[in-house]
Amino acid sequence: MAFSILLVDDSATVRAVISKALFLSGVEIRELHQAGNGQEALDVLENEWVDLIFCDLSMPVMDGETFVATMNERGMLETLPVVIVSSAGSEPRVARLKALGVRDYIQKPFTPERIREVVDEVMGVAQNAD
Amino acid sequence: MEKVSSKFLEIVEQLTFMFGEPTPRTELDLEAETFVLARMSFTGDLAGSLSVAVPVEITAEIAANILGLEPEEVDSEEMKMDALGEMLNVVCGHVIMCLVGTDANFVLNSPEEMPVDAAMLDEMAVSDDFLGFTLDDSPALFGLTLEN
Repeated sequence: MAFSILLVDDSATVRAVISKALFLSGVEIRELHQAGNGQEALDVLENEWVDLIFCDLSMPVMDGETFVATMNERGMLETLPVVIVSSAGSEPRVARLKALGVRDYIQKPFTPERIREVVDEVMGVAQNAD
Repeated sequence: MEKVSSKFLEIVEQLTFMFGEPTPRTELDLEAETFVLARMSFTGDLAGSLSVAVPVEITAEIAANILGLEPEEVDSEEMKMDALGEMLNVVCGHVIMCLVGTDANFVLNSPEEMPVDAAMLDEMAVSDDFLGFTLDDSPALFGLTLEN
């Protein structure tokens, strides 16, 4: 199954690295959308179908935690999995985000294998739920 | 600072595949290079800022290694600076958790990248907040400034 994936990070470098890791790990991609912060990501979600979101925490305009909280308020986290990719995920912060509905956390630096593992786990759960 | 030094080298190696070693700043030939600086602040259980200064010439290699490209494929200054900032960003999270623990509460602010003038370089060369490194044969300075 090919996925429509949204990458949310203010660093173009990180978005490129995640794209490459997805490609190298063999994840099938139907569409790859990009956003530089949480607000831009919400704008993308207004117009595009997305299956999975990879999101940073530290971003200008709207950070990752606010973005996740906004998605939670709008009831979007139940159907649209969010995975946090960051180096700022302390244990209490990750626990707080998972309590809101974030599916998983990937610590930077990461490998393509780690990206694949999370996609399989998160999207496998989503597919089994269907 | 020993823990910080080790963590800096560990993360830079993982992220950029560049190998480094601590080097006394007096042994670094800082005047032979033009440097750029990435700096970012953080707040929470630990508050302060982290900085890394490297020669302009190695920013293409840093970006290429992070992105899995050849250095000649990195033709945009913006890409080089963004990659340097991202390297510092990743180092920063690990350094804070190394110092305060994985249960630390902290927020990272976005890194800023800038050219380094002679006065800034002189200051970094003598400040107790900075450490010297050799990174793939190039000089590098890494600084940690804590509030309070």
